[in-house]
Amino acid sequence: MCGIAGIMFKKTGDGRNTSTGQALIDMLDGCQHRGPDSTGFALYGDTHQGHLKLRFFVGSGDEADKAIARIKDVLSANSASIDDEETIGNNYRVVVTFSGDLQKLAYELEHAAKVISIGSSLEIIKDVGTAHDVDHTYHVQNFTGTHGLGHVRLATESDVKPEAAHPFWATGFADIAIVHNGQITNYWKMRRRLEQRGFEFNTDNDSELIAVYLADKLSQGIALEDALKTSIDDLDGTFSFLVSTKDEIGYAKDRLAVKPMVMYETDDMIAIASEEVSLNKLFPGKALNTTEPAPGTYRTWHR
Amino acid sequence: MAQIDLSRISVREGNELIRKYGEAGENVEVLNPDARHHIGVGLTAPITVKVRGSAGYFCAGLTDGARFEIDNNVGWGLGDNIYKGTVVVGGNAGAIAGVAIRGAEIIVKGNMGSRSGQVMKAGTLLCCGNANFMAGYMMYGGRIIILGDSGERVGEDMSAGDIYVAGKVQSLGSDAQLIDLPGEELDDILAFLDKHKIPFNGTFQKVANAGTKLRYGTAEPQMRSLPFFSFSGKSDYWNSKVQEDIHIKSQIGRYRIRGYGGARPLPHMTDLAFRKPIRPDLADAEIAKKVNLYTEIGGIHGAQPLKLSMPVMVAPMSYGALSASTKRAIGLASTLSGIAENTGEGGMSDAQRNAAKQLIFQCLGGRLGWNIHDMKRADGLEIYISQGAKPGLGGQLMAKKVTPQLAKIRGIPSGIDLRSPSRHPDILGADDLVIKVEEFREATGYKLPVSVKLGAGRVRDDIKIATKDGFDFVELDGMQGSTGAGAAEVLEYVGIPTLAAIIEAIEALEEIHARDKIQLVLMGGLRDGIDAVKAMCLGADAVAFGTATIVAGGCIACMQCHIGQCVTGIATQDPEHEKRYKPDIESRNIHRFFESVRWQMAAITNALGYDDVRKLSRDDLVALTPEAAAITGLPYEPEHRDETDAIAIKAS
Ligand SMILES: Cc1cc2nc3c(=O)[nH]c(=O)nc-3n(C[C@H](O)[C@H](O)[C@H](O)COP(=O)(O)O)c2cc1C
Repeated sequence: MCGIAGIMFKKTGDGRNTSTGQALIDMLDGCQHRGPDSTGFALYGDTHQGHLKLRFFVGSGDEADKAIARIKDVLSANSASIDDEETIGNNYRVVVTFSGDLQKLAYELEHAAKVISIGSSLEIIKDVGTAHDVDHTYHVQNFTGTHGLGHVRLATESDVKPEAAHPFWATGFADIAIVHNGQITNYWKMRRRLEQRGFEFNTDNDSELIAVYLADKLSQGIALEDALKTSIDDLDGTFSFLVSTKDEIGYAKDRLAVKPMVMYETDDMIAIASEEVSLNKLFPGKALNTTEPAPGTYRTWHR
Repeated sequence: MAQIDLSRISVREGNELIRKYGEAGENVEVLNPDARHHIGVGLTAPITVKVRGSAGYFCAGLTDGARFEIDNNVGWGLGDNIYKGTVVVGGNAGAIAGVAIRGAEIIVKGNMGSRSGQVMKAGTLLCCGNANFMAGYMMYGGRIIILGDSGERVGEDMSAGDIYVAGKVQSLGSDAQLIDLPGEELDDILAFLDKHKIPFNGTFQKVANAGTKLRYGTAEPQMRSLPFFSFSGKSDYWNSKVQEDIHIKSQIGRYRIRGYGGARPLPHMTDLAFRKPIRPDLADAEIAKKVNLYTEIGGIHGAQPLKLSMPVMVAPMSYGALSASTKRAIGLASTLSGIAENTGEGGMSDAQRNAAKQLIFQCLGGRLGWNIHDMKRADGLEIYISQGAKPGLGGQLMAKKVTPQLAKIRGIPSGIDLRSPSRHPDILGADDLVIKVEEFREATGYKLPVSVKLGAGRVRDDIKIATKDGFDFVELDGMQGSTGAGAAEVLEYVGIPTLAAIIEAIEALEEIHARDKIQLVLMGGLRDGIDAVKAMCLGADAVAFGTATIVAGGCIACMQCHIGQCVTGIATQDPEHEKRYKPDIESRNIHRFFESVRWQMAAITNALGYDDVRKLSRDDLVALTPEAAAITGLPYEPEHRDETDAIAIKAS
């Protein structure tokens, strides 16, 4: 029930005239018809040794103050020292210096508040409304990083809530994000397997499952490309998804090819989206030599 | 040549201009298409449209007679349902290129995506590159020429038509086979390539239907006509119904098919009563004039609504399941009573169009009989997703009913056991559905209401999706709903009851604060005006009658609609049987039934103390059984039972 987009600029300082944030805004604007309810972005910026960027949904007013206080308690209990903090929209963003066990910190934070993302490079921004609405509140266009993902959602659950928006962070694993179009039908089976091994889930959303599945493989030292390959066998259902890590971006598509995906690659960049109309938004008036990934295929791009 | 620049105007404005240029006979060049959807849909003039770049979904869809040239790529559903004309694509085409075409020549210079030519009926689809999997899936006719490789499972479940592959045949689909290529067919193909200046030398392998799945092995024997009470299995444990069922299965060795609605007792409108004592016997004959029943359906988003003299419609029933005379009688009756009729599956005949003043045109997955011209002369367009009798399954029309005349309007080979696809080629999720609804609106200039028919399954999700996808109204059908032919197991055991469906639908809309964004037409086992008023109390905006309509018009409820030998001439395509049906007489009978519904609705509404059906609310109802109370949340007040029985008697 949605549209997805991803972009990676392969070279740094290549004099391009758009930011990663702006490129994703444009691509999502092009396919907003696929999902008018909420919009989200996973953006990768510069990293600093020992720094972690954390984002939370905290709401507003008293509710926000309480959530922030709980977050700070967990941070200090885990000796994470705050370097920078701000509240934007309904988000609380904090940068900390931290060198302990990330998964433990993440699970504790999750019990204290609604975590959106944790990473040395990754920040997820998502909320109800269109790409332009979300940009207006969170200034997505100012993100200049090298790559990122985007998602527009048509909500079929009871409410259009910001926390139900995509992308999803691989709960407990830094810097891994996913956007997914489709439906995983062996969700509970896969989730139970992962839970038995001690992983926690933040939502009941099948996209989060894909993120945790891939993150688990990566943490075992398996290459992203190989993890994508096994995902096509291990996941049942319909899916076209994009995944990103600190320095990679990749896709996987199910064998039924029920969910569309089109890509466009040049020496400088790779862009993938649900529909060509999103890619054309980056190159107005041009006839692009795009390709449609074949059913049952996967691929990654490295910076 | 006129120019249209899509960087300056919307596709909607662009399409209006294209149609205008079409009327004036002027060719059009579309600049900056940038892969936008729906370019050119609904064009029915013989002009040339050049698209300077890539086009999105449904480019050239629902057109007749035009020539489209697209310089670069196209998205899903190229040339959807084209009648005649030519489409040339310079680059690649996405999935389902040439879906449901009924003629036309489509040339894709690059590769084409999966399921190309799905449910196509006639015409030629040429792919100069490679095809992806399941080219020719469920095709009924026409030809697909692939100069590259075939893709996996080529010809999957094709009923007829030809597929020619010059490259590798990667694998054959179910019920497809390789056969020798007749010399004259090769000449035909080479002439076609020549005409379109496609250089080629080589030859082809031919893929055709293998004929193993077109007919069931053994036909189902005709049953004895069991009276409904014993058919519904209410008598002893090994009752005659159970025995007959076992006998027939012992002959055919598979699931059984039958017509009519479910026979299992389920919680229903009869388990509800009005909170106030109703005495319709006191109502005067003029009562219908004192209560406002007039209802508009479908105008919520600005389309021209259906104007109903009372909140009642005829349920969609196909020409195919029903005879042409029956469709005519129902159409006439709907006009006499000032309500709306619905084509159901299988197309719109002139007779139907002329008989019914307000006619909804239904579009199903097989696109049987679907076309732009009838869309334009309809009063509403409806996308069938499923129906209450068999949610998730497609229609079944046994060979006996697939006569040459019927096959022609549907665009299929005659004499096959037709199993309509259960899914739409181009609706695989809510996101695609948005694009499909938009295509219909574009093609008909945003004038017609667009509705969706939903069998009650996951009502909560489905209703929300229907609302978000911008439908004007939903025809919601509970599991008591009838069918012309369905697998017996599914009829009785799949879905959720009409009562539960309307409750869930209303709750779903309240959850997303959208009660005013879509209208609900409820059906499925509704028998009269009393049921109708209860449905309105529970929140329906209107109701529809299927079975009651045909029973009013002479159906004897033998439950054998699927056999094709209907003794009343209703559910048959056999001219000998059909002769018995007298549409002019039956239309009067059906009309009188509708008028009794009007009288009941007015009398009960009046007795409840209102002058307008829209004032009815759930506070007017109580539940007579614990189950009905649990489903509806209404107070359980069994003591109202006697009064209900009294109304039923008096009203009958
Ligand atoms: C003979 C017959 C043919 C039908 N054909 C269609 C059809 O083509 N499309 C459709 O949506 N429903 C079809 N239906 C189902 C009706 O539209 C409707 O859902 C059902 O009859 C409602 O329940 P009721 O008969 O109890 O009023 C058919 C039903 C019958 C009895």
